Amino acid sequence: MDADIILEFQNVTKAFPGIVALDDVSFKIRRGEIHGICGENGAGKSTLMKILSGVYPHGTYEGKVLYNGEELKLEGSAIHQAAQKGIAIVYQELTLVPVMTVGENIFLGREPTVRGSITWDHVYAEARKILNKYKMDVHPQDQVKNLGMGKMQMTEIAKALSEDAKVLILDEPTSALSEAEVDQLMSIIRTLKEHGVTCIYITHKLEEFFKIADTVTVLRDGKVVTTQDTKDLTSEKLVKYMVGREMKERFPQGDRKPGEKIFEVNDLHAEDPDKGKEVIKGVSFDLRKGEILGIAGLMGSGRTELVMTIFGEYAKVTSGSIKLNGKEITIKNGHEAMEYGISLVPEDRKRHGLVLIQSILKNISLPNLDKFSSFMRVNQDEELAQSTKFAKSLSIKAPNLFVPAESLSGGNQQKVVIAKWLMSGPKILIMDDPTRGIDVGAKFEIYKLMNKLAEEGISIIMISSDLQEVLGMSDRVMVMCKGSSNGMLDIKEATQERIMTLATGLA
Amino acid sequence: MNLSTFGQQFRKNIQTYIIIILLVLIWGIFAVVTKGGYLSAQNISNLFRQMTVTSLLAAGMVLVMVTGGIDLSVGKLAGFVSVVVAVFQHDIWYALIPDKPILAAALSVLIGLIVGTLFGIFQAYIISYLRVPAFIVTLGGQFILNGGILLVTQGKTIAANQPGFAEIAQGYLPPTAGWILGVIVVGILFFMMFRNRKTKVKYGFENKPLVQDLLKTAFFAVVIFLYVFIVNQYNGVQVPVLLLAVTVIIVSYVSTNTKFGRYAYAIGGNREAARLSGININKQIFLIFVLMGLLSGLAGVVLASYVGYGTIAAGQGYELDAIASCVLGGTSTLGGSGTIFGAIVGSLIMASLNTGLQMLNVAPAWQYVLRGFVLVLAVIIDVQFKKSNN
Repeated sequence: MDADIILEFQNVTKAFPGIVALDDVSFKIRRGEIHGICGENGAGKSTLMKILSGVYPHGTYEGKVLYNGEELKLEGSAIHQAAQKGIAIVYQELTLVPVMTVGENIFLGREPTVRGSITWDHVYAEARKILNKYKMDVHPQDQVKNLGMGKMQMTEIAKALSEDAKVLILDEPTSALSEAEVDQLMSIIRTLKEHGVTCIYITHKLEEFFKIADTVTVLRDGKVVTTQDTKDLTSEKLVKYMVGREMKERFPQGDRKPGEKIFEVNDLHAEDPDKGKEVIKGVSFDLRKGEILGIAGLMGSGRTELVMTIFGEYAKVTSGSIKLNGKEITIKNGHEAMEYGISLVPEDRKRHGLVLIQSILKNISLPNLDKFSSFMRVNQDEELAQSTKFAKSLSIKAPNLFVPAESLSGGNQQKVVIAKWLMSGPKILIMDDPTRGIDVGAKFEIYKLMNKLAEEGISIIMISSDLQEVLGMSDRVMVMCKGSSNGMLDIKEATQERIMTLATGLA
Repeated sequence: MNLSTFGQQFRKNIQTYIIIILLVLIWGIFAVVTKGGYLSAQNISNLFRQMTVTSLLAAGMVLVMVTGGIDLSVGKLAGFVSVVVAVFQHDIWYALIPDKPILAAALSVLIGLIVGTLFGIFQAYIISYLRVPAFIVTLGGQFILNGGILLVTQGKTIAANQPGFAEIAQGYLPPTAGWILGVIVVGILFFMMFRNRKTKVKYGFENKPLVQDLLKTAFFAVVIFLYVFIVNQYNGVQVPVLLLAVTVIIVSYVSTNTKFGRYAYAIGGNREAARLSGININKQIFLIFVLMGLLSGLAGVVLASYVGYGTIAAGQGYELDAIASCVLGGTSTLGGSGTIFGAIVGSLIMASLNTGLQMLNVAPAWQYVLRGFVLVLAVIIDVQFKKSNN
């Protein structure tokens, strides 16, 4: 047995009714390396990690997992066993208790006791030791709910490490982090490596593999495509391995011909009704028929707040005007927005877009029940027929429309959200970060769909954190900075540098 | 239908099957222990009559719980309505229209429904528009109504057993009428089945094999005829059970086939997603609690007629029976899922335990203990089944 190998998968197969999630997976992870796992949604990454962390205990899958040369047999309270053996996992959705302090969270469930009682000074001292060791700039006595996403992430990692982890699995750790926070996280991961911790790193952001990973394993449809050193890889190669075909272009070419001005926002100011704080401080822009208008800006620049306010569901407009087809309108809630033909695909599809426990069918039809209802009765046959049409045209991949939305992959969930808003027949479709957390292939499909909609005359407002996406998809780009609009660029004059200059308020 | 789709169907409806199996089990045990006495026509007839008040409350409670709320005031509201109705029957109508029992009964029903609905509106407004948690508003409501009952009755028992009014919860259809009704209902079932298949074809959907649909409908037909046959051997089809059946069909239809019902499930499943889908959350929650008030009013009327008088203890603890029925029937306490049908079967289980234990002369203290155990046990089984299915 090679002593250098800490983990080895040997012919691991895991099948669920109707789908083989992992198909004869074999690869090795070296001790002390940062090992990237890459693949589209549904490729089997999560299933693999769930086997490692004990969510799927030994015996529920075929094949072997070797840990330090011995077969890993997680049984009984398997999740707890995995942690005891030094395998820790940090999930994409953080598992911290917001009202507790950093120190309390780190030792949650394992509070060090002296003669049966907890000495908090001791807890905080231990927490500080861990935080200092890995150079994490977090104060143990801060309440978690007051921290930014980056520091929450650090707390979560510290919590995982406090059990003396040998292997740390990071599942999409950067999906909610700002760029500065990502850099901080990267340096922490390098510190971990110096301390001999093996990291398994999962992400959709391919450039991160090149920043940090030593080796990358690519999964596709439950099979290992390749395991290679990062230095031998390029992002084109990675994409090719992932989707199994060459992706010449990330953004499909559209044939958009923006028409007359249909929507206009003039010097809009709005304040948060709960806190009484002004969140929108002077935004002006216009939107043309069949145009894709990109909105760029840093986290906290008020992008989401702006579109939610336009949709009538967030801040109270204090001054300024919104005009639709030249006529001034006020939108008091989402229902009114829909009646004006404005729809919103929200940023967080799980929290704001979907009723996860309900079927695809019910999710698609939810805002559109008026279309199938006479007086009180919902015509469920008509509902199914219409929803099927939209599900087909968006090629939502699911056994049927009666499966719950929670059973779908991220990309397909996003398609369900888009389907439900397309059915409402919008003239203006606001899409808040429409491709967040979904894989390259699904992104491409969504881009194609956006092009098609714009060609059909629907105007799209697209918010995005991904500058390349903004540049690749928009006709014009509005840049926001600290709650106000700080410039409108035609796509021909827009560059990453110009957008960043405007977004950071340097110009 | 091949075996695997049957398995899928079974798993999908597992919750319903579990409680029906539990019900049959309970009936079986009591039948054996009472040497068949439990399944006598008289006992069956009384059992179904007994469950009406709680079932009416449970039918409304399902929708409240589906939106993620709770209503602790329904028992006392039904109790309050029952004493108000008793006062009208006993004192006011007696003085104003002493020789018109039917009109008096009708007016009493109307007043009961109005009182229930008004109190529902009062609570609904505070819950939805003033945003006070339902738990607290309805807990307060319970106290208020308890006081109201004492004020109205002055601590006395008021008779409500006038001939016309008593029919509501104590009346029976003549046997022939029962059979005619049964035949009509079965006819409607078959008619609807065929109409359903026709619209499916119109929309180009695949129909289930005709045999399967026929068997299913035939099964319900047999259940209905069997029921009519049994209760006819005693006094006939019970008026309150008929009232309950009609109410349940309406509420159940509302919950699955109207926007109002669909919005309730969406709100319970994900309030934010529902809000951003253009649903007026406040209005929907308001309407749900008003409906709950109306159903509590109806339950109060039936209660007054059932016991024949209004007392200070009226409706005591009924809200907990209603909640237990919902939970037994698979309603999630977190909101988002639950069916009216399930809650009614849950309510039937609670009533079955009651009558069975009473027949066996089990001390009231032990009746409580056993009912508590069955409730928790049923949920344990349900949770375990779901776990092994995942």
